[in-house]
Amino acid sequence: MTNHWNDLQHANVLMIIGANPAENHPISFRWITKAKENGGKLISVDPRYTRTSQMADMYGQLRSGTDIAFIGGMINYVLENELYHKEYVANYTNAAYLVTDTYSFEDGMFSGYDEGKRSYDKTKWAFKTDEDGKVLTDPTLKDPNCVFQLMKKHFSRYDVDTVVGVTGTDKKMYLDICKTYGSTGEVGKAGTILYAMGTTQHTVGTQNIRSYAILQLLLGNIGIQGGGVNALRGESNVQGSTDFGLLYNNVTGYMKTPEATEVDSTYQGFLDRITPKAGYWVNTPKFYTSMLKSFYGDNATKENEFGYHYIPKLSAGKNYSFMRLFDAMYRGELEGLLLFGSNPAVGGPNARQEKESLSNLKWMVAVDLFETETSSFWQKEAGADPASIQTEVIFLPACASFEKEGSVTNSGRWMQYRWQAIKPKGESKADLEIVHMLARKLKDYYKNSSNPADLPMKAMTWDYGEHDHPDIDLVCREINGYDMKTKKQVKGFGDLKDDGSTCSGNWIYCGFYPEEGNLSKRRDSTNEGMSNFLNWSYAWPANRRILYNRASADLNGKAWSKDRVGIEWNALEGKWMGHDVPDFVVTKGPDDPTFKDPFIMIAGGKGAIYSTGLNEGPLPEHYEPFENPMLNSFSSVQFNPAVQFGEKEMNPQGDVSKYPIVATTYRLSEHWQSGAMTRSLPGLAELVPHMFVEISEELAKEKGIKNKDKIFVSSARGEIEAYAMVTKRFKPYKLKDKTVHQIGMPWHFGYKGIAIGATANHLTPHIGDANSSIPEYKAFLCDVRRA
Amino acid sequence: MADYIKFVDVTKCDGCRACMVACKNWNDLPEEPQDFSGSYQSHEKVTANTWNVLTFNEHQRSDGNFEWLFRHQSCLHCVEAACEKACPEDAISHTKFGSVVIDADKCVGCGYCVQGCTFDVVELATYKDKYGKEYRKAQKCDLCTSRLEEGLKPACVTACHTDCLIYDEKDTVLAEAEKRLAVVKERFPNANIYNPQGIKGTTSVYLLADKPSVYGLPENPKVPLSQIVWKDYAQPLGKALFGVTTMAVVGAVISTAINKEKGGHEGGQDHE
Repeated sequence: MTNHWNDLQHANVLMIIGANPAENHPISFRWITKAKENGGKLISVDPRYTRTSQMADMYGQLRSGTDIAFIGGMINYVLENELYHKEYVANYTNAAYLVTDTYSFEDGMFSGYDEGKRSYDKTKWAFKTDEDGKVLTDPTLKDPNCVFQLMKKHFSRYDVDTVVGVTGTDKKMYLDICKTYGSTGEVGKAGTILYAMGTTQHTVGTQNIRSYAILQLLLGNIGIQGGGVNALRGESNVQGSTDFGLLYNNVTGYMKTPEATEVDSTYQGFLDRITPKAGYWVNTPKFYTSMLKSFYGDNATKENEFGYHYIPKLSAGKNYSFMRLFDAMYRGELEGLLLFGSNPAVGGPNARQEKESLSNLKWMVAVDLFETETSSFWQKEAGADPASIQTEVIFLPACASFEKEGSVTNSGRWMQYRWQAIKPKGESKADLEIVHMLARKLKDYYKNSSNPADLPMKAMTWDYGEHDHPDIDLVCREINGYDMKTKKQVKGFGDLKDDGSTCSGNWIYCGFYPEEGNLSKRRDSTNEGMSNFLNWSYAWPANRRILYNRASADLNGKAWSKDRVGIEWNALEGKWMGHDVPDFVVTKGPDDPTFKDPFIMIAGGKGAIYSTGLNEGPLPEHYEPFENPMLNSFSSVQFNPAVQFGEKEMNPQGDVSKYPIVATTYRLSEHWQSGAMTRSLPGLAELVPHMFVEISEELAKEKGIKNKDKIFVSSARGEIEAYAMVTKRFKPYKLKDKTVHQIGMPWHFGYKGIAIGATANHLTPHIGDANSSIPEYKAFLCDVRRA
Repeated sequence: MADYIKFVDVTKCDGCRACMVACKNWNDLPEEPQDFSGSYQSHEKVTANTWNVLTFNEHQRSDGNFEWLFRHQSCLHCVEAACEKACPEDAISHTKFGSVVIDADKCVGCGYCVQGCTFDVVELATYKDKYGKEYRKAQKCDLCTSRLEEGLKPACVTACHTDCLIYDEKDTVLAEAEKRLAVVKERFPNANIYNPQGIKGTTSVYLLADKPSVYGLPENPKVPLSQIVWKDYAQPLGKALFGVTTMAVVGAVISTAINKEKGGHEGGQDHE
């Protein structure tokens, strides 16, 4: 989230798209309800009428996988009707930037495409610069090669009729939504967009979010209270996980993982590659070196490039994401697997195939609260022949959040410390204890090794206590970082150094644990203004509650609206002051030439309407999902040209002639993720005891299916049997030249636990987004028939 | 002590069912998983072991608008409570909080209250004694009287995150309810405050988004006259004249008559 949960109450209009918070983030409705009580309007955009849709003032139905068409049409509407926030767009975004002549867009393709590699040469999309490398601009926004005009031209193709012919949205409702949401472009108004996995789990997932960002920048909704692009994270600490580098291609604090290349063969070469020339990221070397110091302590010296060579390097260009790991398992290239609270036999795409791949492992360690479908993949009830599976499976019982101490970071980036409520059951242990014990064993095992390959393990410091139970306070202190000499806690990431004199396990969290104590333990619920609760827990970065909050003030540093004060320039005091921690140099006043550059993380400081960061183009473009029911109405390019294919056998593709129905998966209030926890809890199993598939009355009639009948759902990957839930809440889409049905089903079920049922992911495709590699769970083709 | 009521603003309910979990948790009620219902609703209606049920009703309005109506269904705690009138054992009574409670020690499991209840809320639970012999007791929501006595709000109210459920001073709540009603009328023209005066009001008051009948609630409930006569006149008099046992037999006869008078349960529980 750029903003945070409590801040939702300040929105004039909330658009929920690709999310269903009433069911999956219920507590958010405490704040959304407040926004409504304050007169705010709630819009729900979803293929299916959900519990969120019922709470909304307006419901727009859209076919799964057509977000860019939907938002592209809104962007076009906002531009055509001049609803955008003109001062904001001209001054705070890169709308005025000129783009080089090598940029072009024709029939769905941007310039610079290499068909063999399925990738673009992004330098073709660069900004036009002068001899000193300074970007050329046209503040009037009239130059045909400026971002504003290129964007306008690009989205002019997203006219209302084409859009609703693709999305299946009722035209009148679509226009109402455009008008209502577009009204937040008025100076002083705020609109917020809430999204979740309904947005991300597509082959165009990242570009879906880009389209939200563009719309929000146009309406001046970024940086202000009640605005923002707000990701509702799918798990209580998934924000924390990504912050701490759980993805293969970054380390802590969203810094890159080095690759085994010539450039990265020295630390300096690597730093030069990943450090931009402008924007706050110029400080990367300070953060990286401090991270290395936290990993290797005194073993990280200037002479050995701060232990840089101890970090494993990625094979250049190789994708190590979730699906590619299972591809490697399928090919027998992986020996072992550690699973912490992960249940791919239910949660993974094309789950049956992923489950089969597990049997190619030599060993697997599963850490979980209950025995899951994954940890028991070798058992008879999993449909396996135990005698033929050679994988050694070890199960370690884990304890639940209430049984351990530590912090979780919520979607609003608030790091909230939690204490142990009850003692763990049986032999179960906290993840931290398990990792701690494992690390100590490994260090002991390698301590006398003279093999150079074992050096990283020997060099790693692991000083969290000499017992099986680690001192978690020492872990916290190291995450924040301290001065290597004085051992005094560092005050904030501004104090980190690139000379090895400081350490910090994660620079974005640096500041949560200064000398005065662990600020994530704070529980002061005083509202000092605009419900930012600055003394409750700690929000990264720097306890800032609204990112880019410089944009909450106008060109002179005054709040756009007196009802919506984030920070303001106080000329008397000579600093930025207000209800939040400034996301700006506190003393930077109107005399500074960069006073009007609010987006400090980006070189140039302007919000990116146009960005060369993503793989499929500088502006979002609609492509149909991997499996789709119609030809692309916007171009002759059917499928995202930058998506990389994995192992072919893992990903059979279904065709509309055989599988004419669009399908999607989702979660329910009552169950969570693969159900490993909730399906084993009697109280929750009682509320939703059976796997079901929601189908429209129209489709039910066509197929001769009655409510409560058992039905088969089949896709190119497999077939499942479940109950039919015939509902008015799914409606067939009237698309450009045909009517298409969509169905949906929860993906919570498996055969373990109390509430059991067929696994929806036996149907889902093994393909993902062109940037993040997240699987396309949310749009695929299937067929249904009565059982 | 000021009068307190539970107020259910169904237009604020997002159907999360935390109220159901909280209720079972506090009251230590066993789970009773059901067959597939064909909708999101878990139980057809409240039972002796499931004291509140979230109903889900896919309602196509006559004006063409679609509404997915949610309702927290549980005992309304009638001021003039038919269950209390029906009970031959004086096992059902009003507490100082206005909650209608069943004294398990006095309850003989006769089931007259089940038959008598205006809202089809009371049910009999079956238990086994230490010799394996089955016996029955009437059960229903008691407004968490055990919590009220400790100054806590009912468990369902505490669990509710949208303030769909609140428990507060009656006058304040009812005044607020009228304001809320005016607001929600724009979207729900049939919205109404359900606090039926035919039974002298209830301690659990609803703001409904549509007519009571859409939710399977009687439009103008009354306690049948025969039931009042039975409880307030015949029973005290009869017990004095004929003794308790005889009156229980008479009660069975009268109970049948009451059922006929009610004409069964109006509408039943309307769900998908």
